[in-house]
Amino acid sequence: MLSAGDDLVSISVANPREAQDLATRLRESLAFLEVVAGIDSVVVQFDIASKDRNDIEQQIAEIVAQPGNTHTISHALVEIPVCYGGVAGPDLADVCEQLRISQEQFIALHSGREYEVDLVGFTPGFAYIGGLDDQLNVPRLQEPRVCVPAGSVGITGGMTGLYALQGPGGWPLIGRTSFTLFDVDAGDPFVLVAGSRVVFVAVDSM
Amino acid sequence: MTIQVLNPGLQTTIQAAPRAGMRHLGVPTSGAADPLSMALANKLVGNDLLAPALEVTLTGMSFRADVNTQIAITGASAACTVNGKPAQQHLTLQLASGDEVHIGPAEKGARSYVAFAGGLRADETLGSQSTYLPAGFAGFKGRPLQKGDQLDLGKPSKIVELLQTPAEYRPPILDSWTIRAGHSSETKLLSDADRLFATKFTIGNRSDRMGLRLEGTKFDIRSDGRMPSAPVFPGTIQCPEDGELFVLSVDAGTTGGYPRVAKIARLDLHMLGQLRPGNQLMLIEREQSDAEVELREKHTYWNAWLPGIERII
Repeated sequence: MLSAGDDLVSISVANPREAQDLATRLRESLAFLEVVAGIDSVVVQFDIASKDRNDIEQQIAEIVAQPGNTHTISHALVEIPVCYGGVAGPDLADVCEQLRISQEQFIALHSGREYEVDLVGFTPGFAYIGGLDDQLNVPRLQEPRVCVPAGSVGITGGMTGLYALQGPGGWPLIGRTSFTLFDVDAGDPFVLVAGSRVVFVAVDSM
Repeated sequence: MTIQVLNPGLQTTIQAAPRAGMRHLGVPTSGAADPLSMALANKLVGNDLLAPALEVTLTGMSFRADVNTQIAITGASAACTVNGKPAQQHLTLQLASGDEVHIGPAEKGARSYVAFAGGLRADETLGSQSTYLPAGFAGFKGRPLQKGDQLDLGKPSKIVELLQTPAEYRPPILDSWTIRAGHSSETKLLSDADRLFATKFTIGNRSDRMGLRLEGTKFDIRSDGRMPSAPVFPGTIQCPEDGELFVLSVDAGTTGGYPRVAKIARLDLHMLGQLRPGNQLMLIEREQSDAEVELREKHTYWNAWLPGIERII
């Protein structure tokens, strides 16, 4: 357990599933303002005006010590069409050069396999999808983009990220999808959730 | 019971209470970038401190009241008029139907707040009426106001006497700011972390409700650009590999993968909403225990004028 700021406590975990499980259990205690899972951590924001940090840390420790629940709900497989490279994926050529593979090889390695959504976060509907082929591990851009188009597909650090909304972003962009990731008018606006199974399907145009 | 937008300015949105407890769904907090100024405006017209109000950015805006109502203007220093005659900030203003109100460009600070007796009526999405522009929801149709928009007013809950914010409760609007902050999860990745609290930053042009660039110096960060994405909050200061810091504000995303090298203390977060490009900023280091004590002192001070301040700062 580590401090991440005056009103934040960060807890390290082994993997995204553990992060989701611990975050759910912490949230159910209703003792905190926000409980947010990351890829390998959970951060709790608490009300420092009314609560004592030591009490909060003890409460977190008790919940951490309880048995977890990482059984998986089975999700339907979601097909996500991706137009790779070109204007849709302006960094694909650079990424392939960095990885010393052809764009065809990249597309073959990225599409046509099943992934699991590790985390929905960043902006409404943004999905972090782990399990990328080991060969496709590239760093973030050194300088984030000011404006990434909605539907952009990025990769970094062994993950694929789906940008549901237009906005700033730091992942190299390898393609774009027409798939709706966040629909505020739907009963449940979040199309993908942690645990969703997805497969990318290469398409020629958007 | 409406007002009509004559000139919306650069970006005017309806803001209200933060969207609390939704960050785990990737839904940012939103709400006023300077919630203290918005609360002060609502106080002067007898509203709940978090009632929907206008947040006006940098260039000002103007509107016409189509009803007799009371308003109050706070936040950035700006020359304001009613029917062309100077109007004071931090004062309840009585408007007659047909009156035209002009909020001038911000001379100092970045955002003016205009509250209306009874509050503005606004769309609610995911538990809050605060506009979130990137996803286009809540507030007024999820977008910035446009010329000709007609905004409905709520029913005032009580007749308020004319009020004026006492001088000691008018937040100073400055060109050079000092803001309390502390270490965060990846501060140790900076080889020159001491400089965080000994540097005069300049607020960059690329600054908005999502975040502000801290320019003028670069930091030496030991990071390979592959950090697993982790939760971030308004006030989190991140350092990308290029070494130039940015601080997250109310509309910032909920997770990020650039090292989190500092965090603005809760008690000074409201100041972020008034920082404008070109302003100077110094971070003052605060240990957690001190930030906690000072927050409670700040609440005690403000409760005399704004009961319920704990919901605001």
